[in-house]
Amino acid sequence: MFNFLQKLKYGARVLLSKGGGQPETIDVAGKSTVISSGGDEKAEPFVYLHSALGESLMWFPFFASFAKKFRVLVPTHPGFGKSGGFDQIADIEDMAFHYIEMFDALGLEQVNLGGVSLGGWIAAEIAVRWPERVKKLWIADAPGLWVEGTPLGDLFRYQQNRDKLREMLFFDPKGAMASLIIKDQPDDLMMLYAYQAMTVLARMVWTRPYDPKLAARLKRIACPTLLLWGDSDKLVPPPYGEEYKKHIAGAEMRLVKDCGHLPMFEKEAEFVEAVTKFCLS
Amino acid sequence: MKYFFFHLMSWPHLPADFDAKYDSAWVWTPNALYDPVKGHELYQEYINSLAYAEELGFDGVCVNEHHQNAYGLMPSPNLIAGALTQRTKKIKIAVIGNALPLYNPPLRVAEEFAMLDVMSNGRLMAGMVVGGGPEYFSYQVEPTTAREKFREALDLIVKAWTTPGPFTWHSKHYYFQYVNPWPTPLQKPHPPIWIPGVGSQETIDFVAQRRYAYMGIPYFHIDVFRKVFAQFREACDKAGYKAAPEQMGWGVPIYVAETDKQAREEFEPGFWYFIKNLLKGIGLTPPGYTSAKSAAAILKNQKYFLYKQETWADIENGVFAIVGSPETVRQKLAHYQKELGAGVVLTGCQVGALRHDLARKSMELLAREVLPKVR
Repeated sequence: MFNFLQKLKYGARVLLSKGGGQPETIDVAGKSTVISSGGDEKAEPFVYLHSALGESLMWFPFFASFAKKFRVLVPTHPGFGKSGGFDQIADIEDMAFHYIEMFDALGLEQVNLGGVSLGGWIAAEIAVRWPERVKKLWIADAPGLWVEGTPLGDLFRYQQNRDKLREMLFFDPKGAMASLIIKDQPDDLMMLYAYQAMTVLARMVWTRPYDPKLAARLKRIACPTLLLWGDSDKLVPPPYGEEYKKHIAGAEMRLVKDCGHLPMFEKEAEFVEAVTKFCLS
Repeated sequence: MKYFFFHLMSWPHLPADFDAKYDSAWVWTPNALYDPVKGHELYQEYINSLAYAEELGFDGVCVNEHHQNAYGLMPSPNLIAGALTQRTKKIKIAVIGNALPLYNPPLRVAEEFAMLDVMSNGRLMAGMVVGGGPEYFSYQVEPTTAREKFREALDLIVKAWTTPGPFTWHSKHYYFQYVNPWPTPLQKPHPPIWIPGVGSQETIDFVAQRRYAYMGIPYFHIDVFRKVFAQFREACDKAGYKAAPEQMGWGVPIYVAETDKQAREEFEPGFWYFIKNLLKGIGLTPPGYTSAKSAAAILKNQKYFLYKQETWADIENGVFAIVGSPETVRQKLAHYQKELGAGVVLTGCQVGALRHDLARKSMELLAREVLPKVR
């Protein structure tokens, strides 16, 4: 019953926030790219790079929260939803180049940049190559590095097993958010988007679930960096955050209590507050 | 009509509680369940029975590549084929196939197949395949470009066999400064190319356009084969020629015994072992391995796959196996091979945990009492 009410309440908030995101399609070096945006156009730009869930496809309440303080830009990665150009993406480096092209296309000199999971990894790959374009960097529950003795979860093995997925992604797999995000009976469009998402992820991580060159390059990051991690993340466990911290001078690591891989859903308030405060400080 | 003895070399010694205890016979099934001492005996028996197929008058034998699984114990079918070149004299040896994207460099396939063709004095059927979904988990090969790599590797191999080397090769996934395999194949312009398929229109069109042979792999409902061969004939028409019977292969497990009743009793336990244990996990599909459209079609068509069958009536009605007395098998085989128009039958004479002595008895009855009447 409690779960049901929570779901209802979240559904209502999604409905209310929906009007905030303005999906537009722009051309980024030959790739048609969907970008949702919200907030004051004159506020500081804040680019959110989404996880393999493809949360950019909907204007979730946490985007609306960021939009109160920033000019929020939420692009959809090539290959997800209606963004094209996946044939031009062979690896994570291509993703980084895609986004620097997008910054150029939008005339963004410097941005607050961050992302969750896959999005956080892409943010790191951008920051090591073009440190001057990143004002503040936040990375949440992201792969990208290798930590000996701390295996990553296997999303591909359990792609059809919804209980296992919830266990891997949530601190509370029986909670309302777990069943809202991993639905028991997704419709055809959701199934298609999920297949596309897993396809993009496979191209990024199948051969190796990290970038062997990233660790040595992280020292090039020049801006303040926040590492935000669910203390119970079973897909990309907290030692991966510690590993980022080891290589980025002055980075701050913050664990989110009782939280799995997706803090923006499982601990929304804390997530929004931590990221907002960090970017404004 | 050509009859090939199709062999997987399955592991027949899984524990009785396997289905209850394990979620798959593939990729992560603990290999502590494998026993190399029993494995030695098994390879001996399996190779002996493949060689015996020549003595009995089969036209050929088929071996298959699978990795990290109990379903098929030939991670390198080329090794078994190599042994068979020395154990047989006349029979065709079909390797169906090598999973090209798993070979880096794919030139290895051009070399090994040429070796087999020369060693066997021109008896190789060169099967080439994308490889099943589980293989991409076992070999950690990136699945979203599997089909691109397959096409490129296939073109490279055919060119390596037909163009005097050395030459340079460049494509999206492969670069070689010197392509120059020694040996080159004995059959000219190259060994017949067999492409195993499970019914995707894309593969059917491709095989038809190239004039290769399409091998419909077993374990599907007869309706699937009806549809696939109709599509194949149509694709050949579109390509401007009439499909030849030897371009179409139909895979089906066959078991013959003295009477219908005896045949079913002897065959059924080993076959259900195969269905319940060994097929478990074969459908594991990495994302991007097929288009989203094909992935949805595969999910929708699962009821046509052997793994989903529950009763003997399901097996009989779908012609998932042909089982019975010599007369029953003769009638069914004659009926369906005519209806399908396939000129090659890949007979699964040893499936799952079928006892070796029974498999041999069935092969003998098939070869002596059935095949001469249906050729």
